[in-house]
Formats: sequence, structure tokens, C-alpha cells
Amino acid sequence: MMTKRQFFSTVAALVLIGAVTAGPAQAQSKQVVIYSANEATLDTLVFDAFAKETGIKVQPVSSGSGVLVKRIESEKARPQGDVIWGISRSLLQTNTQYFSAYTSKNKAAIPAEYRDPGDIWIGNNLHVMVILQNTKMVPENEGPKSWADLLDPKWRGKIAFTDPANSGSAFTTSTMLVQLFGGGEVGWKKVEELFRNIKVLNRSSLVPQGVGNGEYPLGIFLEYGGYVWQSNGAPMKVIYPADGSVVQMEGCAVVKGGPNPDAATAFVDFINRKDTRELILKNTFRRPARQDLDLANLPGKMPAMSAIKLAPYDEAAWTEARAATLDRIKDIILKTR
Amino acid sequence: MRIAAARAGFPLAVAAVAFAFLGLFLLYPLFGVFKASFLDPTGVSFTLDNYARVLSRAFYRASLTNSLTIGLGATLATTAIGVPLAFCLARLPVPGKPVLLALAALPLVLPSFVGAYAWVLLLGRSGIVSQALRAIGIDGVSIYGKHGLILVYTLQTFPYVLLPTLAAFKAIDVSIEEAGQNLGASRWRVFWTVILPVAAPAVLSGALLVLMETLENFGVPFVLAEDMPILAVEAYKLFIGEVGGNPASAGVLGVLLVACTTVALLLQRYYLGRRRFATGARRTPPELVVGAGLRGLATAYCWGVVLLALVPFFAVVALSFMEYRGPVLHPGFSLDNFLRLLDRSQRPLMNTLVLASAAAGGAALLGVPIGYVLTRYRSRLADVLDIVAMIPFAIAGTVLGIGLVISFNSGWLILTGSPLILVLAYLVRKLPFNVRASSAILHQIDPSLEEASINLGVSPARTFLTLTVPLMMGGIIGGTILTWVTIASELSATVVLYSGPWATMTVVMFQALEGTSAGAASAAATVLIVVTVVPLILVHRLLRRHEMSLL
Amino acid sequence: MTAIRIAEVARSFGAVRAVDRVSLDINEGEFFTLLGPSGCGKTTLLRMIAGFCDLDHGAIHFGERRVDTVPPHRRNAGMVFQNYAIFPNLTVAGNVAYGLKARNVPAGEIGARVARALKLVHLDGYDERWPHQLSGGQLQRVAIARCLVIEPEVLLLDEPLSNLDAQLRVEMRREIRLLQQSLKITAIYVTHDQEEALAISDRIAVMRAGRTEQVGGPTEIYQRPATRFVAEFMGTTNLLSGIAVDGPVGGTAKVRVGGQDFALPAGTARPRDAVTFSLRPEALRLIAPGEHAPSGWHTLEARLAGVEFLGVLTRLDLQLADGAPLRAATLDLPPEAALRRERITVAYDPQRVTVLSKP
Repeated sequence: MMTKRQFFSTVAALVLIGAVTAGPAQAQSKQVVIYSANEATLDTLVFDAFAKETGIKVQPVSSGSGVLVKRIESEKARPQGDVIWGISRSLLQTNTQYFSAYTSKNKAAIPAEYRDPGDIWIGNNLHVMVILQNTKMVPENEGPKSWADLLDPKWRGKIAFTDPANSGSAFTTSTMLVQLFGGGEVGWKKVEELFRNIKVLNRSSLVPQGVGNGEYPLGIFLEYGGYVWQSNGAPMKVIYPADGSVVQMEGCAVVKGGPNPDAATAFVDFINRKDTRELILKNTFRRPARQDLDLANLPGKMPAMSAIKLAPYDEAAWTEARAATLDRIKDIILKTR
Repeated sequence: MRIAAARAGFPLAVAAVAFAFLGLFLLYPLFGVFKASFLDPTGVSFTLDNYARVLSRAFYRASLTNSLTIGLGATLATTAIGVPLAFCLARLPVPGKPVLLALAALPLVLPSFVGAYAWVLLLGRSGIVSQALRAIGIDGVSIYGKHGLILVYTLQTFPYVLLPTLAAFKAIDVSIEEAGQNLGASRWRVFWTVILPVAAPAVLSGALLVLMETLENFGVPFVLAEDMPILAVEAYKLFIGEVGGNPASAGVLGVLLVACTTVALLLQRYYLGRRRFATGARRTPPELVVGAGLRGLATAYCWGVVLLALVPFFAVVALSFMEYRGPVLHPGFSLDNFLRLLDRSQRPLMNTLVLASAAAGGAALLGVPIGYVLTRYRSRLADVLDIVAMIPFAIAGTVLGIGLVISFNSGWLILTGSPLILVLAYLVRKLPFNVRASSAILHQIDPSLEEASINLGVSPARTFLTLTVPLMMGGIIGGTILTWVTIASELSATVVLYSGPWATMTVVMFQALEGTSAGAASAAATVLIVVTVVPLILVHRLLRRHEMSLL
Repeated sequence: MTAIRIAEVARSFGAVRAVDRVSLDINEGEFFTLLGPSGCGKTTLLRMIAGFCDLDHGAIHFGERRVDTVPPHRRNAGMVFQNYAIFPNLTVAGNVAYGLKARNVPAGEIGARVARALKLVHLDGYDERWPHQLSGGQLQRVAIARCLVIEPEVLLLDEPLSNLDAQLRVEMRREIRLLQQSLKITAIYVTHDQEEALAISDRIAVMRAGRTEQVGGPTEIYQRPATRFVAEFMGTTNLLSGIAVDGPVGGTAKVRVGGQDFALPAGTARPRDAVTFSLRPEALRLIAPGEHAPSGWHTLEARLAGVEFLGVLTRLDLQLADGAPLRAATLDLPPEAALRRERITVAYDPQRVTVLSKP
């Protein structure tokens, strides 16, 4: 009989503790709900700094950008979020009906290509697609120099990449490479050769994790991943392909009809301020969209945008042809296994 | 015509509540999700084109085959491992049995994606164990691919087979066995022809749980499948792919997933429906007297399996005390992970405790009466309810989560943004477990007790509340705590449904692992393990007192 | 006191007709037994009366009140279960008080009534015992007390003695009968034990495959079975079939069986009728050489094939002229000399023969 009683009291105590601690948290007066597709480290860094400066508490909802957009879409009758942050330019462009326009105080510092002409969304940071190399598994100077080098059969099964069906950047990279390798069937054929060497992972975070931990010698990922692992002591090298790469923008937008519109705009201004961008770069190596930071003298010593060769990329056309393209990539993946 | 109304009031009321609840929070949301798979692009007219399109693609057919292969492989493997283990623990003199039994349920506690992460660190291409093996000349050991998935699933889900089978072996009256031997059968023959067939329903229901868990799980193949298409993963990607989902195709895969699990469920019901072995041991069979060799073998086997299954546990706990710089693991002891976690994870921990308690309590409140009605009032209506109440087994958490968001974000009932939607999702998902556990308990309570009470003038509803529930109490508490523990490690629905302040420990873990703080993730996992192991040990003690199993 | 009327009651489980249009009228204060082998539908019928089994067809009345549409907990029909169904989580007093609490009897009254009920079943002083501390017989008494304390309209007993040992069974059945008579309560008793049924009942319904074969008092059922089934079920008997050979001679009919003639009561058979009749072994008496059978009795010659000494009685296995078996039983030990002979003479009173109405 004693045991039963102990059970009851344990359960009762847990519920009670929960109720007591859960109560006050909901009574926040100044807060902002951010739908963030960023990883937790970046979120925590920025949200803490924002709360410290403004006194506005951030309620984050963190998830993949797909989930977040789905949520905004299904919540459109009664929006729950104030800001969506960390999603790609194409997702911002295709979902403008859910966002409300706001002219950021930092607008002038952001190149025109990285913001909406009607100020519905604004870019925050840029991702350059790079090749990551584990220098413990592949000696520093024996790695690839370009995308074309990756077609070498010696890399078979040694390159980590994300499933383009599940990652915007992987989709962009794959389609950019079709163009880079000559476009049309010629381009597709080379991409197929590339996929022959690739391990297609389900989650993008598995790429830097896999290369950093030595599961895969090479990986195709966003540049920040390389710098994060490198700066924390992993044998990681970041390679900017000589044949050119592609830049992807991540930005934010104010959710139309969100519960805290003032806090939302305050946050949008905050994340694009020069000092905030410096803080972010120092800690998480996100390349800012604004071009007035002295990258060479900041941690990581990232090259300036002007020093990186970019390959031509027709984003609009590929976004248009997404469904068919994804099917084709699926077939290639299946065929090359 | 049957004059049934005389005693149908109580079961009808329970069935009505159950159907209303499941209709509203299970079938309606699912309908919303699956509707898309039957509609043409205009969203108006009915079509099967989506099915034709998806099934015509080799990629998706491969995902179906892979999922079934792995699911069946894991089911066979768990059975092959779990049944002998159950027999050893039930009948052979294995030292440390109580400890073994307590440890054996632990694999259910660790969220599967954390377990997969730990396995990669151990048995990945540059895993600690793989490297050690390579150093002594054994190459090519890898946790990736089909065999790896089957291994991880097997070690994670074998308790589903072990626990009910163990209970069944113990419930076989020794006289049955003696009769077999008396008729001239050897012990070995008695095991194959008498004991195993009598325990078969228990083995089968455990195996079914394994099949369903492995089919719907996406956390493990997400990490370990690499290139291989897996049904649950592809469905997840199509539902919430970063590049924009494809609701029609996703719906098709979702329906396929549900179809597979439903077929398995129906096969099992068909099989069990034709065999009813009520044993209820008067005399629990004694431990067998065996030689030192066999005893040693059994001991090595039991401890070997249980410890192997706990490897990811030890690994995660060990990792949480190691130094992480950003995402990079450095050898060396450190408490930083916990300090960093402490900064921001008190609220998620509380959320986990509160939400899991509310949902487990709710699941008991709803599941126990349903289990009672299903067990005591067989009818066609009860059969339908039985099937409906088992559906959540077959539904991936992600799918249910999306359905709930779609259904309850606007209109007359708005639930998004409130913690209630998480509680409801957990409740629906864990309901089958509670219903089954309640049935199992009820099978051990003589129905004539309830009839005696009713006969003495107490209404069926009051009899249930004042007689049956107290008699079931030990089992109910045990079942509720087990539910509580599994809810605490739930991720797939949570990640879709949580809002603002209601992130749970698993969300923290998932995000930390997704991002660059694996250290914080392992620390969070350690905290979750500690928090859930304590009640689990209490359950275990309770179950031992009642000599029963809840699966 | 309540009469019970069961009219045209039926229930099927799948293809099996568990109870097949049974009608019974049970009188006020009667001790009525449903007797039959397992699977005959007797328990199903009892559970229908208690309300635990729905009817496909028919009606059940307690007095003027129709009860088959009343939920079981409002029927006021106390039931004693085969396995006692004592609540393990309550004490003896708690078990007995259970039904009173359900009826919202004032607490003060409950104590007195529980004490009275326990005294009735000779369990005074056992109030605070727990069920697991009691023996089978004591549990049975608790079950009966628990049932009687609510003063039910009818008492239903489902093989209540089958879990007790032989001696206790005899003791308990006597007690149950006495209790029933002193309380003047209508009781329905289910059993498969014909001796128990004969000992305890006012009337018995013998059931087979969902139907009643015969309803009647114990002596009637035993001595005048209506069917072969009843005759066989009620104990060892000689069931003989043959063709009536001639009309009534000297007040008896004659039937030829096994190469010999048997006399039947007058008017029970016409020439060339196929007749089946029961001749109980104890109705046959051994006639010693030189002794004369009582007048009006019918004598038979038979071969003695075996002798079985059973203490109170001795059983003789006989063979008729063509080898057909005939069993006889006698209370007194027959003289040694009689048993040494191979051919013996037996005789019986034709009035003790029962011609079966439904062969």
C-alpha cells in the first residue's frame, strides 16, 4: 500500500510544481514570438542580446523553414507569430501574402538584391555554398579545388550532401551545378556523376557534423558550418570552389496580423544593425547581408564577397521547375545507389 | 431482434465519449491530412491519380520496400532476441534478475534520435568502436544502412516483446507443462508445442508494437539511412520539406504508412481472434534446474543483450560529461554542458513534466474505461471502437501533429498556441497503449466480481468506478507512469505543435543536435534519463508486486 | 415470495443456439433446479434471469414485473457465483454490506443486518476477516450472506458447490435448502450433478442443447423419465427397445427384447408399436431357486455375467437370451449360492417400468 501512496504523491507533486512554475511565464507583458529556422546557438545568442537591450522577451518557435511556413499558412486566420526569421529568399518571395511591409532602419546598408522592393522582407545574412574537407582524413593540399574535382571516382561515397528534397540550399546547389556543368542534358549527366560519389543525408546539419567528426572526408555545405567547426578545433577546411559558387540569402519578415507588431519591427531593426551583425559573425560565422563589415579583421577571416567567384544561376527558372527537378533528382539518387 | 438496451447504458456512454474524442482529435485531423491525397490539383474532385503517380515512381516503391524490409527484419530480430530472453528471465536461474528486469525497460526511455546520434559516435565510420576495431584489423564495421537500422531498432524496441512474453511465460500454469511431459514429450518438445504456442498471442502483440514503431519512426533512419529512401522519412519530407511540401504526395505516403500498419493490426486481430488461451496460472512455473554450463550461457545472454541495448545510454551520459567546444567534441571531463543547459532549460524541463503528466493522466482517464468496455462488453460496436482506438499506433506523430494544426487553428475550436494541443496529441498517440494495458489488467480480474456487484444493485458505471478501478489501481498507476515516460521522450508531434514557451526537453535536444551544441543535447538527454528513470523503477517495483506486464 | 415466468426465451451465440425457446413457470417459494450436462444452456438461462445475458427472443417476469428489459442492477435477483466472486479488496463485513450501501441503507442499520446475515450462515465473528484468510466453504457462506442480506426477490445459484469437496458439498446443500425454506424465497439452482438436484429441489428442469427435456419433481424425473436422455442422465438404467408383440394380457402389455418378453404396464403399448422403456436396475429382484415372484410380477431368465460389490448395494451384470446386457442392483447381499449359478431368475413389477414418450 505504501508504494501506491508514494506514486500518487510523486505524480501530484510533479503536477503541482509544473502548475506553479508554468503560471507566471504566460503573464509576460512585453514579448515577441519569433518563428526561427536558425539553429539554437544563433537563436540563443540573438534573443538574449535583444532581450537585454530592449526588455522584450523572445518566445522562439524553432523548426525547419518548411514547417514554419506551413504553420504561418495554417495560422493565417489567427496568426500566432510576429516575425519569421532565417528562411530563404525564395520562400520569402513565394509567401509574401502572409507578411506585412516594414521599412527597416538598416535598409540603406543592404544591397537592393537582398531586400524586397516593397520592403515586405529584408535579407539578414548570406550563405556561400562551399566544399568542406576533413584535413585529418584528406591531407590539406590533396582536397578538391573545384566542383569539377568532385566528379573524380576516387571520392565515391566520400562526399556528404543533403537531400535536395529536404534542403533549399541543396536544391539550389544541385541546380546551379546543372547550369555550371553546361546546362541541359550535359549538365544533368555530370550532376548524375557527382551524385554517384555522394552520400545523400536526410538532414543538412548532418553534413558538417559528419565531416567534422570524420564520418565523411568531404561535404557540401554552407560556409558557416566550416568556420564553426574549424574555430572550435576540428580538422576542417573551407574550400571556395574555383569554378564558382552560389550565394543564398536568408532573411526575415514581419508576420501580417501578428500579436506584437511593435516588438516585431524592433526585432527586424535589431538583427540587421552593424554591431549585432558583428556579434553574430564572431560567434556563429554568419556572413552579413550588409556589406560594411571588415571581414578580414574579424574571426574566421572570411573572404569578402568581392573575392568569391560566383557562378551564374537562374533562381526564378529553377524555382518554377522545382517539382519536376526534384523528381529527376530523386530518380538520379535511386539510380546511382 | 435483441433486447440489449437493458445493460448497454454504460458501455454505450463510454463508446460515445470515445468515438467523439477520437473522431474529433484523431479522425478529423487525419481526414484533413489525407484528403489531399484523394483530390486533384484543383482540390475539388476525387481522383486516384496521386496514388498512380507516387506508386509509379521507383523511388517511392523502394521506400515502401525498404521500410517493410527493415520493419519486418526488426520485428523478427526483436522476437528472436526477446522470446529467449523472456524465457531465461522467467524460468532460468539468472543472477541479478531484478536488476536485469529493471534495466530491460530502459531502452524505451531514450528518444530514438538521440540513440541514433550515440550509435554514430560509437559505430559510425570514424566511431570510437569502429576505429578500435580497425586498429585490430576489423574493417568495414558501420552502423549505416539496413542492418544498422535493424540493429538499432532491435536494441531499442525489444522490451516491447520481452515484457508481455515474460508475463505470458509466468502465467502458464505449471500443470500444463507437467501434462505435456506426462504425455511423454521431452522438455524441449514441450517448449515448442505447448509453452510457445500458449505464449504466442503475447509475443505477437509485442511484435506488432515493434513493427508499428519501426514503420512510423523517422528519427533513426533520418540519421542512419543515409541514401536509402524510407517511407516515414519521405512522408515527413514531403509534408514539411524545406523546399515546400507536396501535400498530395505526402498524403499518399501517409496513407501507405497507415495501410501497412493497419494490415498488420488486422492480421494480428484475426490470428488472436481465433485463439484464446486464458491460462491465469494457479501455480507459477518454477525455475528450471539446469547445469552450470547452461546457466552460464543464459546469464551471459541476458546480461549481454540488456547491456548492449544500454550502450547508447552509457554513451550519452558519458558524452554529457565531456568537453564540447561548439559542436566539436574534445576528450576531457567538463560540467559545462550542464551549466549551459541550466541557463535555459528549466522551463522546458518543467514543460515536459507538466505536459507529460497531464497527457498521461488524460490517457488513463480515457483509456481505462475504453479498455474496460472493449474487454467486458464484446459487440460489433466494441470491435469498431477497438480498431479506431488502435489507429494512433499506425499514425506517425508528425502526420497527427500537422492534422491537428490544420484542424484546430481556426473555426469553432482554436487550440494552436495553447499547450492543450500538445496534451491532446500525446493523449491520442498514447491512448492505444493505455487501452491495451487496461485490457491486460482486466484479463486478470474475474468478471464475476463485477457481475456480483451489479447483481447486488450497483449500476455498471458505479461498479466500474468503485470496484473495478480500485482492483485495477496498481496496474493503472504502472501503465500511466510508463505512458508518462514515453511521452517525455516524444518528439515527432511535439516539434510540429509546440509554441513559444512550451518547448519540451526533446525539442531542446533536437534543436541542439540540429545546431551546433551536441554537448547541450547530451546533457539534456542525461537530465531526461534521470527524470524518467526514477518513476520507471517505481513502476517496475509495482509491476513485480502484481506479477504482471503492461504491454 | 415471487413467481418467475420464463416465456419462449432464446439466445444464440453465432450458430449455436445456447437457449432455444425455453418456457418455465416457477412457483412462489419454489426451489427449482436447472440440471444438465455442460453446454446445455442452463448457465446461460440463469444469466439471462440475472440480466448478464441479453435475450434474442422471449420475456422473463418476476411476479407481474417484466424484468428482461430491466438492467441487471435493478432486478433485485441475488446471485451466488460458482467461484464465489468475493471482492478481494473488502473484508467479510465489507462484502456483505456492499449491496446495502448501494441501496443507501442507513449506516446504523447496515451493521445490524450484516451481523444478522453472517449469523444466518454461521459466520458470526468473521466480520473483519479478509477473503484470503477464508476457506472455500467459508467464502461460499460469505457469498450467500452477501446475497441474502439485500433481501432479493429471487435467489439464483450458479453451481455454487462445485468447488467444494464431497463432504462439504453435502453439508452445504442441506444448509442452502434449509435457508431457502426458512426464508421462503424463490430459488433457481444450476447444477450438473443429478444427485445434488434430486436432493435439494422441489422441481427440476433437465436441459439438453438449449431445450428443456423434462420438468418435474425429483421422484417423477427419476422414476418416470420422459426421454432416453433424461433416463440416462438421471443415473444408470436399463433402456430397452423392442416391438410390442400382443395386446394386453392380464393387465400388462408385452414387448419382445433380446429374444425375451418384457411386461409393461397396461395400456402403454399397442401391437407392432416400437417401444422404448426404462427398467431401473433396483427394480429387478433376484429370485432364489424355489422362491416365487410376487404375484403380478414378471419373471425373466438371464445369464449372470458379472458381480460388483459396492458396499450398500451389489450390482449384477446380466445377459439376456441373445446376449443383450441387463443390469440389476440389490441392496441386500444375495446368497453366495445364488451367485454361483450361471443362469438366474429375476423379476420385476411391471408398474415400475417407464415407457418413454419420446424415444
